[in-house]
Amino acid sequence: MPDTNEKSFSKSSDKTLNRDKNEVDPKLLDILVCPLSKTPLIYDKKSNELISKSAGLAFPIRNGVPILLIDEARRLDEFK
Amino acid sequence: MSHPVIFDRNLLAKNRSRVAGSFQNFDFLLENALGRLTDRLLDLSRSFELVLNLGARNGMLEKIWPKELKTPKFIHADISEKMIGETVNNAARVVCDEEFLPFAPNSLDAVISCLSCHWANDLPGALKQITGTLKPDSLFLVSILGGQTLFELRDVLSAAELELKGGVSPRVSPFATLQDFAHLMQRGGLALPVADTDTVVVSYNNIFELMRDLRGMGETNILIERSRMPATKAFFLRANQIYQERFVDRKGKLKATFEIFTGTAWTPHPSQQKPLRPGSAKLSLKEALNN
Repeated sequence: MPDTNEKSFSKSSDKTLNRDKNEVDPKLLDILVCPLSKTPLIYDKKSNELISKSAGLAFPIRNGVPILLIDEARRLDEFK
Repeated sequence: MSHPVIFDRNLLAKNRSRVAGSFQNFDFLLENALGRLTDRLLDLSRSFELVLNLGARNGMLEKIWPKELKTPKFIHADISEKMIGETVNNAARVVCDEEFLPFAPNSLDAVISCLSCHWANDLPGALKQITGTLKPDSLFLVSILGGQTLFELRDVLSAAELELKGGVSPRVSPFATLQDFAHLMQRGGLALPVADTDTVVVSYNNIFELMRDLRGMGETNILIERSRMPATKAFFLRANQIYQERFVDRKGKLKATFEIFTGTAWTPHPSQQKPLRPGSAKLSLKEALNN
């Protein structure tokens, strides 16, 4: 995520909601679990994914929206 | 899983994504049903902190939230990524399937689902998951299409297909009855269920206008057993004729019925009224009568 993007968003006129467009809503992040195993998800900032260790799946985040569909997840081989 | 899989959920996501950009031209039924849901909310005089809008489409719930009520924090969830992209900027949004809910137990104050759960393969299972995500004494407010919905269309498509092809394939989804709906909420572990029904009749000049609306709403057939043969123009022309013969209003327009079930139910809490357990009485009936 380039820094320049972040700056332009913090200038947004809406002062209460100056999150980066690609950041997941923190309150939402608090309560999300794996749709399959219902266990907690780990937010991997680098890959911008939500990782379910127990299901061995990585769910993508696009435009700040977690895509928690099993068909859209990347399989994590190291957890097999 | 033991329940039958009758709906193609991937196709539901595709149908909604395809129409996301123009959905605001076809959201009259959603708006109508949402109005019924918010009426229930006004009757309840309760406020909620965190509300999940499940099957949110373009997040209209937040836009029409009654001013009389405290605005909660909304989470908009839909199976279609494009549809959820149409919600208000900066809203908390997630793409998920009602049948595989990604919310922690005990985390939500209300789940509101408008005209979406009728596409669930395992509605009791989905309701159980919803119940699990709610805190005690929290609200599940839901509407689905049910009962007599599109009975006219079902009838004329079957008649036309029987006539032209000598057989019938399912073209209109089966719908739950109001009794099914109330029972389902109880089976899902919810208390104090209340369900009622409203009928909306929409008039159309012809069957093609009706089909265009259903497509625009993302509500076209997702039955797995649907016919894979694309229906011909001749087929719809004949169906249109039969529709004109059987289901017209006084002005000669085609009638299309939508039956909307609206229900409220609560996650159990000790403060709610409930019957005493059998055998738990401290007084015998004889003593009670003598007093």
